[in-house]
Amino acid sequence: MATDSRPDTFDSVDWDRVEADTGGVPVVAVVEALTFLAFGAALAYDYLIVPEGEPTVLDWDVTAVEWLFVAVLLLGLFHVVVPLARSRRMTAYYWRQFRKNRLAVASLGYLGVLLVIGVLGPAIWAAPNETISYAEAYAPPIFIGGDLASLDHALGTDAQGRHLWHLIVYGIRVSFEVGLIAMTLAITIGTIVGAVAAYFGGYVDEVLMRYVDIQQTFPVFILLLLLIYLYGASLFLIILLYGVFGWEGTARLVRSEALQRTEEAYSRAAEAAGASKLWVVRRHIIPNVSSTVITAATLSIPVFILGEAALSFLGFGDPGTFSWGRTINAGRSDIDSAWWISTIPGLFLFLTVLAFNFVGDALRDAIDPRSDSG
Amino acid sequence: MTGPLLEVTDLRTQFHTDEGVVRAVDGVSFDIGRGETVCLVGESGSGKSVTSESITKLIPIPPGEIAGGSIRFDGMELTDLPESDLRDLRGSRIAHVFQNPQETLNPVYRVGRQIAETIRIHEDVGKEAARKRAVDLLDRVGIPDAAERVDDYPHEMSGGMKQRVVIAMALAGRPDLLIADEPTTALDVTIQAQILRLLNDLQAEFDMAILFVTHDLGVVAEVADRVVVMYAGRVMERADVYDLFENPGHPYTQALLACLPGRGDATTAIGGSLPSPTNPPDGCRFHPRCPHAIPDCKSGDQPPLHPVPDPDAVATGAGNPAGTGAGGPPGEPVRAAGPYDDTDGAEEGGWDEVREATVSGHVASCIYYRQGYDATTVRHDDAAADGGSTDQGASGAAGDEEGGGS
Amino acid sequence: MRWYVARRLAWALVATWLAVTLTFGVLLAAPNPGADAAAAQCASQDRDPEQCRQQYLESRGLDRPAHVQYIDYMTDLAALDFGYSESQEEPVTAAIADAWIYSAQYFVPSIIISVLIGYSIGLYSALNRYTLTDYLGSFVAYFGISIPNFWFAIVLILVVGVYFREASLLGVSLDALSLRTYYETSYGVFTVENAKQLIMPVIVLATASVASQMRYSRAQALEYANADFVKTARAKGASTWRVLVAHVLRVALVPLSTILIVDILAVLFAGSFIIEAIFQIPGLGRLQLEAITQKDTDLVAAVTLIPVFLAIVGNLIQDLAYVLLDPRIDYGDR
Repeated sequence: MATDSRPDTFDSVDWDRVEADTGGVPVVAVVEALTFLAFGAALAYDYLIVPEGEPTVLDWDVTAVEWLFVAVLLLGLFHVVVPLARSRRMTAYYWRQFRKNRLAVASLGYLGVLLVIGVLGPAIWAAPNETISYAEAYAPPIFIGGDLASLDHALGTDAQGRHLWHLIVYGIRVSFEVGLIAMTLAITIGTIVGAVAAYFGGYVDEVLMRYVDIQQTFPVFILLLLLIYLYGASLFLIILLYGVFGWEGTARLVRSEALQRTEEAYSRAAEAAGASKLWVVRRHIIPNVSSTVITAATLSIPVFILGEAALSFLGFGDPGTFSWGRTINAGRSDIDSAWWISTIPGLFLFLTVLAFNFVGDALRDAIDPRSDSG
Repeated sequence: MTGPLLEVTDLRTQFHTDEGVVRAVDGVSFDIGRGETVCLVGESGSGKSVTSESITKLIPIPPGEIAGGSIRFDGMELTDLPESDLRDLRGSRIAHVFQNPQETLNPVYRVGRQIAETIRIHEDVGKEAARKRAVDLLDRVGIPDAAERVDDYPHEMSGGMKQRVVIAMALAGRPDLLIADEPTTALDVTIQAQILRLLNDLQAEFDMAILFVTHDLGVVAEVADRVVVMYAGRVMERADVYDLFENPGHPYTQALLACLPGRGDATTAIGGSLPSPTNPPDGCRFHPRCPHAIPDCKSGDQPPLHPVPDPDAVATGAGNPAGTGAGGPPGEPVRAAGPYDDTDGAEEGGWDEVREATVSGHVASCIYYRQGYDATTVRHDDAAADGGSTDQGASGAAGDEEGGGS
Repeated sequence: MRWYVARRLAWALVATWLAVTLTFGVLLAAPNPGADAAAAQCASQDRDPEQCRQQYLESRGLDRPAHVQYIDYMTDLAALDFGYSESQEEPVTAAIADAWIYSAQYFVPSIIISVLIGYSIGLYSALNRYTLTDYLGSFVAYFGISIPNFWFAIVLILVVGVYFREASLLGVSLDALSLRTYYETSYGVFTVENAKQLIMPVIVLATASVASQMRYSRAQALEYANADFVKTARAKGASTWRVLVAHVLRVALVPLSTILIVDILAVLFAGSFIIEAIFQIPGLGRLQLEAITQKDTDLVAAVTLIPVFLAIVGNLIQDLAYVLLDPRIDYGDR
């Protein structure tokens, strides 16, 4: 109803002008390019100069997944945080819409705290395996009481005396790595495939969408089990597989949205003005389906997190990580005597997934006036 | 004929939204006699559709709510009637036809089944009998090969045909009152004329009253006996169709008429836009767009409905309704008995006499018709702006021709 | 119409062929875990690991050229010969025949419950928007899609299987309410005991799909709740129930059917591994897990294809249902 009077939204932003606003020199783009150059240099340093098995900096041996995670966080900084900070009016408008949903605001706060703990926590709290102490095994959480309960391990310990809180902190890192990296991969592929299929139509569309059909038909979870069976479990592989086989929903959404947009005046005008198809897709179609993409992205994160946790629970997770799923599985045999080992990490997993779902739905309500999830 | 069939008094319908309470209908009164056609006219957003859907509570509740007023249908008070009794009325005694026939029919059912559904909801009839009646109805509304088309799906029919089906569906319960909400707006002009003719024939045959909601004054001239002009949830003017075209009292009505081709400058548009639905202006809701607005128009409440004297009557001071003879709609006595309005709070004694004098029941919600204001301000300006049609006689003749259809 | 059905059937065949080929390709390209295991075993017995690996591959015909293996594999599949399971020590088909009933007996009730309960709550809350029921329904939906089913199962076991055994409420022991934690195969399929021990698996499995069906149906119903034809139905005097079922649900079924089967299958397949692992049900999920941990490649390949076939058949049914549900569909399209 009020669509006409709405201020700037993602849909209505003139993206050329946004960049022109910086006076012809896209400062942010330069900074971003420099940052990624530095990132590339650091990556090259790790893989070419630092010997295998040696820590990269201090005692931190940066893994492939962690490199990817840093890249995704940087991407998020330049493509979510910076644009939001630069168009204040748009941000303020969306915030007003978003704020109406108090649960979502609380969820966003919870996720923010979790992200900070996940990123910085491992620098503060020792790796769980360093806290192994069989004397302190099965210590209950402090609020239960008991002889073994101690402030030192307030949430209790597991069968090997590892502090549950440390397991949870390292689990946050794993969950966010899975959720954010797989989401970035899936959304990128899905958006490109969807936009290309919609814009080129004809055989391109037919082939791409038939492939999407097949990918959707093929149960990804089972494919994952099969591939992990064949190639062995590693967090890198799990994330990669979720990213590469988890985009068909986004592609469908973007395609149908883009099909409507290609018919609209600006796409035709651009084409009439001699713009190449690729240009039209990149400059006009993709920015204009961003509302759909942002919502789909947020709502895909919890799916990936749950998927990885389920795999780890079944014993197909990366044995080198402290995934929540693994911790929950490990505590299963002690459910009668030490219920906290399974239930407390599970509660964190549940709340995290719930929070992403709340935020995703609230985002949809805030930025996409057409959909109505109530 | 004892009293009007439908009597709406001071109806208030509001919607609770995120932006606040929208008073879509804010004190609307009118009545409809048996067999009579009353048009509700206004721009989109004026509350005319909400008014028509408030009668049988078709508006979504919540967020909608009928906050006050009374709706009497054949002696029954509808506002506090239980839902089950309302359901019995809907589709049987009060039927609806909506704007867009593409969307009013359920796409997954055959049209015959949809007509039969109405019959079987209200009467204890077998499938076969209901189907037979559906065929008869389709035949009656002018669908060729009705016996075969009864098994068509809506998407297999043209827009005009679909609207005929919708009308057949409405007739299935032999209603006393047909509420037609912009029934021709979505159709081609040639089809429009056919549908209007069909409705006219059916009205005579079934002896129904019609509440016709439209924004199209051309259609009004063709079908209406009487007209209710709405703006921003309020009644601006009520008159029989002849008086309205001949002698528009409210500046808003005058502006609407001036937009009609052949009346005044066809390119004239009403400046400005509809007021905010959640926060309407004080005073007369039309004052921000009114060429005659004076400070008194801008404060207080919407002015009550004042009788609009006939121009001749103003001249002679006798108040003789010149228009009634020519327009000649039925239902005249009904209107005289009906309430003029209820927004009319404290009235000075002298007005009642004026009211009695204007038997035609032509009233307008404009301050200029109150005692102490010069009504000719509105009149004269209209005449001046109207350019070519200043001559009352000439436009009167045009009005006769236009009104001939009804 | 016939042409449309024929095309969908042909597409299902093509999809099956592609899926089978893909599975074959993945198996061919990947290192063979069975061969690795054989090699490792030989190495521990001081025999030449390479020779053992070779022997292992030869005995299964895996040393032949790829296209020969492929043709062989496809012909065997066409004859429904899935090979021999070493971990179960019987033909793969026999192992599957033993296991499927255990999966089906909680799978089928879960699907029925998902659709019935999911749609009922979804439609009801769409029609009673902004009421307490609607908010409660939304909350249940969030709960259902967010709760990790393996954790939910553990908490259920903790409460129903462990806590109820000892707890009492107002002096009445709750032991009667407690349920078997682990599946007991000795009960007959249609016995009360069997039904009782399936309650927890069905609840856990159905929770997520109930929630997602509820969200879809609510969203779809809302889309149509304000449609003109629904207003027309109300204007006819139709009762709320009639409007809801005969008009809103009937039209919403068209889009709902396009997501129903594939969505339910996806949610349930992933869930079945977890359910069977936790409750120790000897169904297909556990068969697959055992096959994987014991590196039984023939069985892994076969059990992978079952859900693929089911999904393809489900897709086909869905396409055909679409034709039946929507008279507007243009058969020439797609």
